[in-house]
Amino acid sequence: MSEGSKVSTGGGKRRYAMVVDTRRCIGCMACQVACKAEYDTPLGVNRTWVPYKVVGKYPNVKKQFLPRLCNHCEDPPCVRNCPVEATFRVEDGGFVLQRYERCIGCRSCMAACPYNARFMLPSHRTYTPITNVVDKCTFCFHRVTQNLVPACVQTCIGRSRVFGDLNDPNSEVSYLVAKNATQVLRPEEGTKPHVFYIGADRNATEFGRDAYQKREVMEPERSAFKNHFKI
Amino acid sequence: MEMPKVTRRTFLKVSAGSGAAAAAAPRLLTAMENDLGGKDFGPVSGAERKAIPVNCHVCNIQDGAIAYVENDRVVKLEGNPEHVSTRGRLCAKGNSGMWYSYDPDRILYPLKRVGARGEGKWKRITWDEALAELTEKLDAALKEDPNTIMLKYGRNRTGGSIDRFMKTLGSATVVNHTSVCESSKKIGMEPTWGPDIETPDFANAKYVLNFGSNVLEASYFHNPLSQRVTEGRVDNQMKIVTFDVRLSNTAGFSDEWIPVFPATDGAVALAIGHVILREDLQDSDFINNWTNVTVAELKEHYKQYTPEWAAKISGVPVATIERIAREFATTKPATLFTYRGPAKHLYGSYNEKACMMLPIMTGNVEKKGGYCLPRGMGWPQPMPEPGKPAHDSVLAHPPEYPLAAHKVSHLVPFWIAEGRQKINVYFTYQDNPVYTNPGSMAVWGKLFKDEKLIPYLVSMSPFMGEETALADLILPDCPYLERWEPESMPNSLWPWLGIRQPVHKSLGESRENRVLLRDIIHNLDPDGKRGMKQFWDFKDGEDYMRHHFDNVPGLKEAGGLDFLKKHGVWPIYGKLDPKTGKVSDKTGREIKADYGLYLKELSAADMAGATVDGKGIISKNGKAIGVRREGKNCVGFPTGNRLINVRVDQWADYGFNPMPTFKRIPWHEAMKEDELILSTFKLNVHKQSRTAAVKWLAEIAHSNPAWMNPETAAKLGVKTGDLVRVESAVGHLVTKAYVTEGIHPKVVSIPTGFGHWEYGRLATLKLKDKKGEYSHGADDPDLNNVWWDDKGVHPNNIIPVVADPIGGSQGWYDTVVKVTKAGPNDKYGDSEGNWEKHVAAYKETMRYAYTGDLHRKMHPEMAAWAGPDSVKHKAGGGH
Amino acid sequence: MGDYVWFHDVSWHASYAVYFFVIGILAGLSFISYGSWRTPALRPLREKAAYGSFLLLGVGGLLLIGDLSQPLRFLNILNPAYLNLTSPLAWGALNIVAFGIASVVYILALRKGNEKNGQLLALITALLALGLPIYTGFDLTVHQSRPVWNTPIMPVLFVALAIASGSAVGALLAAGNAEAQKVLREYMLWSAGAVAVMLVSIMGTTNYGGSAAELTFMIMTTGSMGLLFIGVGFLAGSVAPAVMLFAPMGRSPSVVLVSALLILAGSAALRYVLLMAPQQIQTLY
Repeated sequence: MSEGSKVSTGGGKRRYAMVVDTRRCIGCMACQVACKAEYDTPLGVNRTWVPYKVVGKYPNVKKQFLPRLCNHCEDPPCVRNCPVEATFRVEDGGFVLQRYERCIGCRSCMAACPYNARFMLPSHRTYTPITNVVDKCTFCFHRVTQNLVPACVQTCIGRSRVFGDLNDPNSEVSYLVAKNATQVLRPEEGTKPHVFYIGADRNATEFGRDAYQKREVMEPERSAFKNHFKI
Repeated sequence: MEMPKVTRRTFLKVSAGSGAAAAAAPRLLTAMENDLGGKDFGPVSGAERKAIPVNCHVCNIQDGAIAYVENDRVVKLEGNPEHVSTRGRLCAKGNSGMWYSYDPDRILYPLKRVGARGEGKWKRITWDEALAELTEKLDAALKEDPNTIMLKYGRNRTGGSIDRFMKTLGSATVVNHTSVCESSKKIGMEPTWGPDIETPDFANAKYVLNFGSNVLEASYFHNPLSQRVTEGRVDNQMKIVTFDVRLSNTAGFSDEWIPVFPATDGAVALAIGHVILREDLQDSDFINNWTNVTVAELKEHYKQYTPEWAAKISGVPVATIERIAREFATTKPATLFTYRGPAKHLYGSYNEKACMMLPIMTGNVEKKGGYCLPRGMGWPQPMPEPGKPAHDSVLAHPPEYPLAAHKVSHLVPFWIAEGRQKINVYFTYQDNPVYTNPGSMAVWGKLFKDEKLIPYLVSMSPFMGEETALADLILPDCPYLERWEPESMPNSLWPWLGIRQPVHKSLGESRENRVLLRDIIHNLDPDGKRGMKQFWDFKDGEDYMRHHFDNVPGLKEAGGLDFLKKHGVWPIYGKLDPKTGKVSDKTGREIKADYGLYLKELSAADMAGATVDGKGIISKNGKAIGVRREGKNCVGFPTGNRLINVRVDQWADYGFNPMPTFKRIPWHEAMKEDELILSTFKLNVHKQSRTAAVKWLAEIAHSNPAWMNPETAAKLGVKTGDLVRVESAVGHLVTKAYVTEGIHPKVVSIPTGFGHWEYGRLATLKLKDKKGEYSHGADDPDLNNVWWDDKGVHPNNIIPVVADPIGGSQGWYDTVVKVTKAGPNDKYGDSEGNWEKHVAAYKETMRYAYTGDLHRKMHPEMAAWAGPDSVKHKAGGGH
Repeated sequence: MGDYVWFHDVSWHASYAVYFFVIGILAGLSFISYGSWRTPALRPLREKAAYGSFLLLGVGGLLLIGDLSQPLRFLNILNPAYLNLTSPLAWGALNIVAFGIASVVYILALRKGNEKNGQLLALITALLALGLPIYTGFDLTVHQSRPVWNTPIMPVLFVALAIASGSAVGALLAAGNAEAQKVLREYMLWSAGAVAVMLVSIMGTTNYGGSAAELTFMIMTTGSMGLLFIGVGFLAGSVAPAVMLFAPMGRSPSVVLVSALLILAGSAALRYVLLMAPQQIQTLY
């Protein structure tokens, strides 16, 4: 399969993508915290997060981490479903961004996103005045346009997250996508995600086989979360 | 990682005809890879944030960092891309370090206790009042005996000012925290090869044995070494095997996780050594040339440690031990890493020694990809310096533990209670034994509440920790982002000097520690007549740093302190290559580390007047300075005889086995079928006691149920979330169970860092409480979003003291407990320890000291030892 | 607890289900008002249904706006510069506005007794009303990653629910009017029956629809969700009224009234479960 059929390119334009090499992810959570700091993201919501599962039976057990973030889809259902075009795709680069001043807070984009990548900002934040609109990962648009990698990539201890232009055949992401077996999350949704995983155990994530097992360890926490957010 | 060799430039050349449009696109970058850091911009304002290089100090790994400031507030922390050791990255804790500064419950003004101790009633006073009161107390204490002024610190990165302060006062009663940290690892290593830690070259290793270190989450040196572990494993296809009682992230990341019965790592390591020697897989040249034993001696000594013997003790199958031994010995280069797993036991020093023997006997020492010496750098102290105190302190150097060079801090409360040392004024600095030490509130809480034993407790702290809550006077210290401190840490193969500098003015009336100490001294000796003021003659923190850094050779030429203020670290070896994440020199090649430090040749000047003995030891002025091997005058190892001391003769003086050995913990042997061993651990997002009030970390991990194996849980009839009662000889607690495949069936494990009863409203989840008299920080609206309701249960009340008779280390993982399903009267969060029972445990552990009655019983092989009286005269020399 | 776990809020909370419920009834009432021009038996309900429909539009509109986290920006949705026609919410907004205008004109015509234009206006209003359950159905259908929602049956089901619940309200309004109840009984019978059939097919495809759909089926059919969906929505709210109305005693006014109440309770429960249950599984991953 040629690379072109794996990824639709924007015809001469840049197409940013992230490769998450899960073989290198040590689950240190630095990315998640760096992101919280970069954006003053409130508690309870995350632009990027790192769930994990303990897989296997004693003593052959491992921890499977799966860093998550907005996939900056080529065909983003959130953009399609926003009634006021508050969310949009930047042609050059492929960033899916949010216009905070226009968002009416109908949550249609949240419902549309297959990746839980979008969230409603609560009314309380430490110092950023933007509240009560939908927010999401921006691929650190404000950093990337200044020739920096996203904050999560910057701090990634295992160098598991790699960021770059997929349309540049010499970029590291192009190299990694071309030379490794990669996975994207929920490809069947037709969203054409631009976060590629190496070594992601999809059996243990999303709605793989493992989904049928209830994770008891989450239940007390889940009820606390639901209580607080009145779900 | 193999990257395409085509550079952007050649790419452009070959495709100039078709690809020019992309290259000409203006606003976004060219298609080259983006920079890895060094700048940051506000996502809302778009403005570039002010960058100030600092040195991280959330924990003690000491990563180079940059603080980004927007609107006079540190909004972001990133790794310093000029730092060759930590290479521009920070861990989760480092990324959230600004919350130390902006803790809503931070103490910003001096406080005086007004209620009973620990009642939580405070009165804000001025610095003048605080210093006047303190001066009065210190004056009285100095008149009686300077040693009645005690200072105990937890994390001391002042670069010498704490010691200077105590020496200025003339007190030797300085106690650290190392015995609850890793001291037996240090003592296992220091007499053997000199330094107290190793630097495993993970990036270039092909095989790694990891005994009980959780380097991917905590331990020395989490961030910099984790970077190299992933490189080694993915880019260099190294194999990593982890021995641990629990599936840490490191164990989970390893090719093999081999669960061991607690405290038996040493036996496994000895058996691996046995197989290596039995099958003649050792590096004989290295052993014969560079250690103080011969291969023949070693083979003879290791005969007793059969895999069958180790398998029985540790539960690791014979075949596994033999396979690992062969793999380790025949895969080159190989390295080994240990941390608290082997060391934090009754005979932790023996365990550590047994482990470090493996890279030694296979000749992996100081090789590329091997087991390397640490690389650190030093700095001069401001002159003049105060001299040594007149008398030693029994608390700092207890005669029962002459080999414990890092002290035995966790036994100190019992010694104070026994009246071995009178205390008039007790200073505490970045320490919180009431939370962090064995016995916790039952021991240290009891001590600090006793105004007869501790008449005056002064806490230098920005936070209302469990210990500070019991203080009489609180002096508001500064968190690390508001301090000047010199720094260096051997956290990779590249030595460096670094600096912490304030990113903004100290908040409120807080004062950084060295300034605060100076102010105390100046108050005591306003006109210099007492001879104290001369040692504290500096304007401010920055001025103090100039004394450290403006005369370091090399750095001086680069600009001294001014260079460090600008770059944060020195030397700068190269530039972080965004493409590889490695540091490259000007030509783009990766910077290579130095290896074989012990083979460095002595200069002619060094050799002038030196003599060489029959064994090749080069001596000068009665001191060994190197070793002659194959005609070369090598510097050797930093030990007394410049060799690796496999046989530590000093240990034999005190009736300890000088050779690699293993001692089973007697009470583990006597365990009943329904008993388990309680171990504790740190999660990657927390430190021992100081991060529970950091909201981003608390959100990730805020509670600490007890891990247990499904097999164990089935026997107890509990499932995840059920309440269990954990009972030790000294107390009990009630917590929730977390049933997981990732733990040894004979172990129950509870992470620490949770279950605070002080440390502010977030740590204690009392967010609805109104701001206390002690709390002066700015409110954080985001705390309205705290959604979790479980703060966990702290285990230390029920953990008794155990002291390694050699290394003095606390045996954290030696506690035998009985776990049962909680009864009707058990409430989540119950935690109780009994002082008398803790005292009994203390008395019991002292029986293992070389002066105790169980020492000889534990060492039948040392029957020829003449007994404690034969060495009494040697004890008591200060370290 | 012991694990790092991340939770996600559901996108749409229960208040949205109330909005669906209200929209369904107002559309149904609009149909009845138009029906009164064709079926004389319904003539007494013409004005009541039209007024009720308009009143509920006000309630629904407030619910919809109140559900936005930026309620004051609801006008953005009508700003032609912002209009995004790929979003069913945008169509919905236009549809609601158009329906509102048509309702006002229609009510004015009714008040003037303008028989000539009345029927045409009633038809336009009813057709615009038909758009409302269709758009709310599409509002769910377009989310391709959600089990149950992403089935073609949702708009049809919502239309059937609108007819059922609107007729049920009509039957309550027409209490004592045997002629009107006779007609409304037919509406209720066939729409409740259609709802029951559609629910069976939803359950079938969901139970055998891959892991996400299967897990959603489990959520929909067990616990309190199960009680609401199977118990109140399916059995009590559609099967039972359909059977009762079909049975010989189905023409008795008391059975019609009881069935109407059951249908209303059932359609409320169904809206809640159909909105909430398919959102649950994704919050777990």
